[in-house]
Amino acid sequence: MSLRRGFTSAAAFAILLFVMSPVRAATTVDDTAQGLTCQCGCGLTVANCNMPTCGFSVPMREEIAAMIDKGMDRPAIISFYRKKYGEKVLSAPTTEGFNLLAWIMPFAAIIAGGGLIVMVLGRWRSETPASPARSESMPAIDPKLRERLDAEVKQEL
Amino acid sequence: MPNLGQLTLAIALILALYSIAANIIGARRGTPDLIVSARHAIWAMTAMVLIAAISLWVGLLTSDFSLEYVASYSSTTLPTVYKITALWGGQQGSLLLWTLLLSTFASIVAFQNRRRNPEIAPYALAVMAIVAVFFLGMLNFVTRPFDLLAVRPLEGSDLNPLLQNYWMAIHPPSLYTGYVSTTVPFAFASAALITGRLDETWIRTTRRWAVFSWFFLTLGNMFGARWAYEVLGWGGYWAWDPVENAAFMPWLVMTAYLHSVMIQERKDMLKVWNLALIGLAFFLTLFGTFITRSGVISSVHSFTQSGLGPYFLTFLILVVLVFIAGLLYRVPDLRSPAEFESYLSREAAFLFNNLILVGIAFAVFWGTIFPVLSEAVRGVKITVGPPFFNRVNGPLALGLIFLMGVGPLIAWRRMTVKNLAAQFAAPAVIGVITGLVLYGVELTQWYVLTAVSLVAFVAATIAVEFGRGVTARRHMVHESTPRALANLVSKNNRRYGGYVIHIGVILAFIGIVGSSFFRVEVKKSVKPGESIAVGPYMLRFQTLTPLNTPHLESASAGLEVTRDGKHVATMYPAKLYYKKPQQPATRVAIRSTPLYDLYVVLAGIDDQSGMATFQIFLTPLVFWLWAGGLVMVIGTVIAMWPNVRERAAIAEVFARNKEQVAAEPAPGGK
Repeated sequence: MSLRRGFTSAAAFAILLFVMSPVRAATTVDDTAQGLTCQCGCGLTVANCNMPTCGFSVPMREEIAAMIDKGMDRPAIISFYRKKYGEKVLSAPTTEGFNLLAWIMPFAAIIAGGGLIVMVLGRWRSETPASPARSESMPAIDPKLRERLDAEVKQEL
Repeated sequence: MPNLGQLTLAIALILALYSIAANIIGARRGTPDLIVSARHAIWAMTAMVLIAAISLWVGLLTSDFSLEYVASYSSTTLPTVYKITALWGGQQGSLLLWTLLLSTFASIVAFQNRRRNPEIAPYALAVMAIVAVFFLGMLNFVTRPFDLLAVRPLEGSDLNPLLQNYWMAIHPPSLYTGYVSTTVPFAFASAALITGRLDETWIRTTRRWAVFSWFFLTLGNMFGARWAYEVLGWGGYWAWDPVENAAFMPWLVMTAYLHSVMIQERKDMLKVWNLALIGLAFFLTLFGTFITRSGVISSVHSFTQSGLGPYFLTFLILVVLVFIAGLLYRVPDLRSPAEFESYLSREAAFLFNNLILVGIAFAVFWGTIFPVLSEAVRGVKITVGPPFFNRVNGPLALGLIFLMGVGPLIAWRRMTVKNLAAQFAAPAVIGVITGLVLYGVELTQWYVLTAVSLVAFVAATIAVEFGRGVTARRHMVHESTPRALANLVSKNNRRYGGYVIHIGVILAFIGIVGSSFFRVEVKKSVKPGESIAVGPYMLRFQTLTPLNTPHLESASAGLEVTRDGKHVATMYPAKLYYKKPQQPATRVAIRSTPLYDLYVVLAGIDDQSGMATFQIFLTPLVFWLWAGGLVMVIGTVIAMWPNVRERAAIAEVFARNKEQVAAEPAPGGK
């Protein structure tokens, strides 16, 4: 049981690490702009805000392109805007301090819920007498009874 | 008309209050006359709310700008269809629509139960009337739809341009229908808790209502996504916006309920859990309305805000506390002998399906409220946007799809490993082969590989189920394959309708994966005669056509689309400028095929150079998202359609009612 629990915890931790640290290819404007939230009130990311005259996302996308041309990578660009506008400009919570709760809670809740289900089912199983499974051999049915059953089933069908 | 509208809302409130008292007292004292009068009060309340809604419609259609609501959300030049839909374009009208739907459903429930469920129906109607009292209280005292302006303006401010779209004509009513109809199972669940009649009655009585609610929540979400796709102009359909999340959460919980209720029906288990799920679904519908209307969390869909927040919050908290208290009070009575034999069983699969569905709902809820929490705890405003929701929910969605494949083939009670292997061998092989083929054609992103393999696995399990059923019928009753298929579905419609819904879900999932991972975007400024290449298409900018009407100004760009030199289509994206609210808007042009959507936005026009800037998205497979939605609709209709046995039972009930009516003495003859 402790081995299973240890395995479950390790798997959950691995999933969490995996979810929180996505692998990225070369820096692009779109990918970087997805990490930033437009502040014009549209509620979309800087990549997705499509207001042609948006005073926030339009110049920001141009700035990001210029920064990439200068050799800055995604984390550096995101960090630059975080310093400039504060955390609200990020499109996802950081993975530090209180914000870590945002990432951990959903998985913690699911693992706790899963644990609870396993526990409850385990208790129910110990209280339930076992019945033969479907695949196990059944005693032979009297041919007359079988005939009658078939006729009834056909009527139902 | 304004006076009539407000007067009828006041009368409706009084009738709702009376109905609560008469239902409860009538049921407690066993006074049929009181219960009958409470039922009549519900019907009269509905008539009053309908008159109020008609009054507001008349105000909108006649441009009666003495009404503050009409002046704020309409104009003389607004097309008639949008004058009608303006009823749900603003705060007060939306609440009026909510109340109209609620009172209509209460009336139907009162009619359906006039000769059945005498123990719980009056309490259920009282609960529905309590909810109606809350909304009618808001409409009478807090956010009044018939308030008059001191000075009547000559022209109205017009409806928000984003709402002047045909999807807006059907999206809010569909979503509201889904939201409001959860009140029916919630009311019966509450009535079961109040009366202590905790058997299957409340579930049996509200089974169709639960599916009905799920159906409209599905439609509401789909229509909303389509609206966002066509109107917001960023090439996507889902941005994990708080209001989108608020519509998605009840859908998830209702989906969980529709699965777990099967365990209660079959094995008399999970009574507490099913009651909790219905309570949660109802709470989430109120929470959704609270988010939209309170302004606590900013949203792209939140078109109106007011001081409703504190009232809604109080009502929400009360509902939660009272329901939880009732549930805890009844827990000892809800215990039933648990029959569970193995983790390798359909019961276990359904429970884990419930875990993931409720887990996703929790993740969405958590992400939606986390900015508020962060501000309260740290005093720092943060944003929780698409990257968070995609990363958290992406893996959970895979788990859900996997269980969707497991559920249909795994047996109730228990299954041996040998039997399990035999059942799942073919679908698993199909899933693995699909993954290998994808890898072979260099689709190596782990999520795409896993998702498509799982979809193939689920499709195979469904095919196996249909195949087995058809084969059995062909052998047993010697039917042809098409006839066997038709009879199989019509005689087991709940089960096979469910499988059709599963097909719809996997089609939609394919659309989501394809459009999320492989979208191509091109942005370019061109002069007339110049072309833009996007994927296999070439788009040649032809002309710019201006249009000026009293309502709006627009410039529409003609783009000839060719593929391999052959004409495919002419598309007309446009920029619009609505005169009354003085707001610009975009009309995108979409050419949809099963393989790609070509989505064109006219992003800008330079009057001096004559150049136009186009933003073009080539989005693969998004067609299947909408097709999947349609298949889900078909599946739900199949599942809800009364089968042969139910039709016979309904006919019997009608015949019995007819006999009873004939036997009753005529009115006045008492």
